[in-house]
Amino acid sequence: MFEVTTDWYLTLAALLFSIGFFGMMIRRNALIMFMCIELMLNAVNLTFIAASKHFGTIDGQVAVFFVLVVAAAEVVVGLAIIVSIFRKQSSASVDVLNLSRG
Amino acid sequence: MVDFLLFLLPASLVLIGALIVIFAQNPVHNAMGLVLTLISLALIYITLNATFVAMVQMLVYAGAVMTLFLFVIMMIGVDKKEQTKESIKGQSLLVSGVLMVLISLLIYVAINSNFKWDLWFEAVQFDIEGTPQLIAGTLFTAWIFPFEIISILLIVATAAAIALAYDTKKKKQNV
Amino acid sequence: MENLILVPIFLPLVTAIFLFIQKNLIKESIVNIYTLSSSVISFLITSFIFVTFTIEKFESYSVVLYQWTESPKIDFSFTLDGLSALMLLLVSGLSIFIQQFSTSYMSKDENYRKYFVYFNFFVFSMLVLVMSSNFLIMFLGWELVGLSSYLLISFWSSKTSAAKAGNKAFILNRIGDFGFLVGLMFILNTFKSFDFQEVLHKANDIPVNTITVITLFLILGAFGKSAQFPLFSWLPDAMEGPTPASALIHAATMVTAGVFMLVRISPLLQYSETTSFVVLVIGLLTALISAFSAINQYDIKKVLAYSTISQLGFMFIAIGVGAYVAAVFHLLTHAFFKALLFLGAGAVIEALHHEQDIRNMGGLRKKMPLTAGMMGVGTLAISGIPPLAGFWSKDEILASIFSKGGIYLGFWALTLIAAVLTAFYMGRHWLLIFNSEPSKPIEDIHDAPKNMKFPLVVLGIFSIFIGFVNTPFFHGVEKLLHITLEEVEITHVPEGLTLVVLALISIGAGFAGLFLAYLIFGRNILQGKLFNNDGFKNLIKFTKEASFNVLYLNKIGNLVFVAGAKLFSKRVAVIIDSILIDGAVNLVANSFSKSAKITSSSQTGLVRNYVLYFGFFLIVLVAVFIITPLVGN
Repeated sequence: MFEVTTDWYLTLAALLFSIGFFGMMIRRNALIMFMCIELMLNAVNLTFIAASKHFGTIDGQVAVFFVLVVAAAEVVVGLAIIVSIFRKQSSASVDVLNLSRG
Repeated sequence: MVDFLLFLLPASLVLIGALIVIFAQNPVHNAMGLVLTLISLALIYITLNATFVAMVQMLVYAGAVMTLFLFVIMMIGVDKKEQTKESIKGQSLLVSGVLMVLISLLIYVAINSNFKWDLWFEAVQFDIEGTPQLIAGTLFTAWIFPFEIISILLIVATAAAIALAYDTKKKKQNV
Repeated sequence: MENLILVPIFLPLVTAIFLFIQKNLIKESIVNIYTLSSSVISFLITSFIFVTFTIEKFESYSVVLYQWTESPKIDFSFTLDGLSALMLLLVSGLSIFIQQFSTSYMSKDENYRKYFVYFNFFVFSMLVLVMSSNFLIMFLGWELVGLSSYLLISFWSSKTSAAKAGNKAFILNRIGDFGFLVGLMFILNTFKSFDFQEVLHKANDIPVNTITVITLFLILGAFGKSAQFPLFSWLPDAMEGPTPASALIHAATMVTAGVFMLVRISPLLQYSETTSFVVLVIGLLTALISAFSAINQYDIKKVLAYSTISQLGFMFIAIGVGAYVAAVFHLLTHAFFKALLFLGAGAVIEALHHEQDIRNMGGLRKKMPLTAGMMGVGTLAISGIPPLAGFWSKDEILASIFSKGGIYLGFWALTLIAAVLTAFYMGRHWLLIFNSEPSKPIEDIHDAPKNMKFPLVVLGIFSIFIGFVNTPFFHGVEKLLHITLEEVEITHVPEGLTLVVLALISIGAGFAGLFLAYLIFGRNILQGKLFNNDGFKNLIKFTKEASFNVLYLNKIGNLVFVAGAKLFSKRVAVIIDSILIDGAVNLVANSFSKSAKITSSSQTGLVRNYVLYFGFFLIVLVAVFIITPLVGN
């Protein structure tokens, strides 16, 4: 039981992912929702690394690279959007943004 | 035993950091929680022999990205308190419902598998080192195409960010 | 030589087509030449055929034009036998004289040529009907006759009343035709053939109930065509047409098609007591109602129209008691004196410049002696005064009813009352036109031109003498029909003293009616002191009103059928159209929009809701991946 096999890491990643997801559902502040997305992305990174160790290939770690780059780009663009939205309104809540309501 | 402790400590830190992210009230506290998570994750990467990735993660993620986050938090306003009451009707109900389903699913799976993950493939017995040479060897040969696309993506992201944050009113005012 | 019978049938059609294609390019005299010559030629050929037919001892023969199907055997063929020969002769003969009358009556009319087109087309249709050798061709003739009648009734189509009358005639005929068609379907189903030879000679193999059903539907057709109750209201309205057309169609030929058809199917009809009784009762009802209505009509032609309906009722009564020969004989005599009366009425109308109300006439006998005399002959004939034609035929009918005894004695008495009424209203008709004090100046009125006088005289002579073809001493018509009706049990008149007594009674009835008319309208006794009390005056007034309004039957019919149909259709329009159909269409449209509203409520535009959906389906996906391998294990 005390041997740390791959599935422990996978469990940890799953837990991290669900926490991030849960946080997305209950928080109203846009910035904090963004941070929860970051949590989810990191959980995916952990999965990749664990898989890379499990299979003995390096491609998992290369994939982490890409995820990292994309996450960074996404943060940049997302924060720019948040900033431009919150220039219009003073509160940081996402619940008032329902222009795409159908 | 050492392995186990080496796993347990960063793992618990990761989870604590995640919980801080989702439950804290002050946005700066959330950001700090995220930093804690990221650094602990880097530690875990090191135990998994992905040393280069761990360094990159600390530099890029915990360094640049989080700094960006903190900049924006400062700009938006830290002292605004969020209301605790849920504003969307039925959201809390649905969230708890989804949560129930998720938990029950996990319990079901856990019981059925006797608390052991049955992975489809066997683990390899050797260890690979996440050295820069190894990563570069794969990155610039087999993965060259995504690499190029990623660079274009970065440029596009930069341009997009500038366009979004550009304030036309300010430009007309001064200069 | 046998194919000669096709000539009188198709020559009028050829004339009609020929006149039709001339459009309006020819003068009246040319039209006259064509039509009169064609009718004279037809009549000569018809007489020749008839003479040879008589010489051959009335043996019948057929001419097949075109065989359509083998079994059931349906072909386009014509038969000459006793019944059809009689009708052929009647129609051809009458058409000459009535056409001659029309050349004078319809002259200066702008649609002169069209009139003769329709007239000849009618003659063709009638001959197709009577000369047919199977039910299908008879139905073809039946329909064509209805069409020609419609065309002629609404001849002056710019008058709304004429157009409406044409519609009414056609529609009421159609109701009868529905019965005819259903009867035809039953005939085809039962006998597997339409041919008269095959159907009529196999009648005693078929159960009585089937025959009753078949004949009940067929007599509905006869009621429509021959204007019996309740389908009679079209005939008085049909007087909107030109008078010579009325003389031919609505007196002599078309309306007798119903009688003709019933005599044709007499081998079937004789087996069904129910149907014969229905025919008798309807005929009696019709005779009485229309005779009653005729006693206070004011239009010169409407009196004659109701008289025609009443006389047709007599013929139906005869058929109902099984006296088929008597019915045909009355058809023959009635054709002559009714055509005479109509043509005389036409002469009067023409002389008075289209005045048709008899209350505005009077004392015309000084100025129109010939017309008055001929109309008088017609009046005496229809009243049943011997030795004129009407007496022989009417007496035969009455005697045949009497001979059946039992309950039929009551029917005999009622028919006698109808005969009295007949004499009464015809007497009134003649007296009011020709005898009473003139209500308008009559100095510049002259008698009919010679083209009108000639047919009047000819028909008058026939009305006097035609009765002798079927007296108790010489059964000419019966001999003529004996092969046609050889399988039919015909009711005959009683022999000996009973017959004489019955004859005297019917003569007395005729005289009584005429005398009563003379007293009231000749001597004006109703104005006298004897009848000066209020009760009697009210009774007279009530009778007059009831008679004029045809016992309010038309009003009742209007209320029930017309207003009822309008109300029903309005209700149906509301219920079915607005509620059902509109409702169904709206339901479909609404259901789409409502379901769209429901499903679009999931698009809140809020990020957190979308996260929720995302999460939910993520879990589903995960569950699928997790559970399926587990279950498989």
